[in-house]
Amino acid sequence: MVFLSLSCWIRSRGPDRYWKVQEIVKNAKHFRGRKNRCYKLAVKAVRRAFVYATKGRRLKKRYMRTLWISRIAAASREHGMKYPVLMHNLTKSSVQLNRRVISDLAITEPRSFLSLAKVARARQQEGFRAALGDGKEPVGVFSRVVLLQ
Amino acid sequence: MTSRGTPSRFLQSVLQNGVGRYVCQLKRLSIIFSKNAQSSLGVRGFIEEGVVDYAKYNPSTVVYVSPQSCRIPKIVAEYLNGNVREEIVTSKTSIQISEVLTKLTNQSGLDIIRLRKPFHTDNPSIQGQWHPFTNRPPCIGPIRPQKQDTEQGLSNI
Repeated sequence: MVFLSLSCWIRSRGPDRYWKVQEIVKNAKHFRGRKNRCYKLAVKAVRRAFVYATKGRRLKKRYMRTLWISRIAAASREHGMKYPVLMHNLTKSSVQLNRRVISDLAITEPRSFLSLAKVARARQQEGFRAALGDGKEPVGVFSRVVLLQ
Repeated sequence: MTSRGTPSRFLQSVLQNGVGRYVCQLKRLSIIFSKNAQSSLGVRGFIEEGVVDYAKYNPSTVVYVSPQSCRIPKIVAEYLNGNVREEIVTSKTSIQISEVLTKLTNQSGLDIIRLRKPFHTDNPSIQGQWHPFTNRPPCIGPIRPQKQDTEQGLSNI
């Protein structure tokens, strides 16, 4: 007897299952529990992880900025000034350093940060004298700086 | 593609390469192509025209040309730190292949993964890094226990 239809019953049900599974499970290798091995659990966990990563990229910018601001505030309070006063007077003296650079200066270059605080203090005093004195001539050097745009 | 799931590294140069002399980090180039297939047409054209000039221009890189019967032509670049990089050059013109080669020559062999910071310094602080005593005024005189009257009072009792 010749069995001809037996070979037709053998089917290859998709030869790439291993690689399709690995594509997802390799992103879950550092997870805890069965989600780092089993495909059904890993799919849900990996999707969540990617969603959190996307959201986190937008939040990271906010967190970094608040960190810089709190560091600058702490450093300026050591020199007897507050953060809003410092930043406002620096922008009025046309010092266009951003918060990241100023916080790095406060950490690694404390004397430069002290000089920035002194510039802001001088500009603040000039502003007070201009407001209170009501003299016609401009008071000091820092308030004569042209604001670049 | 999470930041913890994928590898990342800091920006670095290989042993401060450009500071003194510059050493080309590309050690070996192997061009694998086929003699008769359509996909290796550009590679064959590049080998006719440009390979010898490239090898003369970069004397520190060894160029191997190996015709094999293969479906996809490849360029395998090996670097001095041991990393191996394969570029697939199917259906590229010889100008594009020379651009690929210049890109491979200019790379250092470090991994092409996410860079954590786009800068790096060995000496981040010049004026001295901040510590809690930088902006405190130094105290005058030695530090001693203060109250001597109360001690005399206790000893009387």
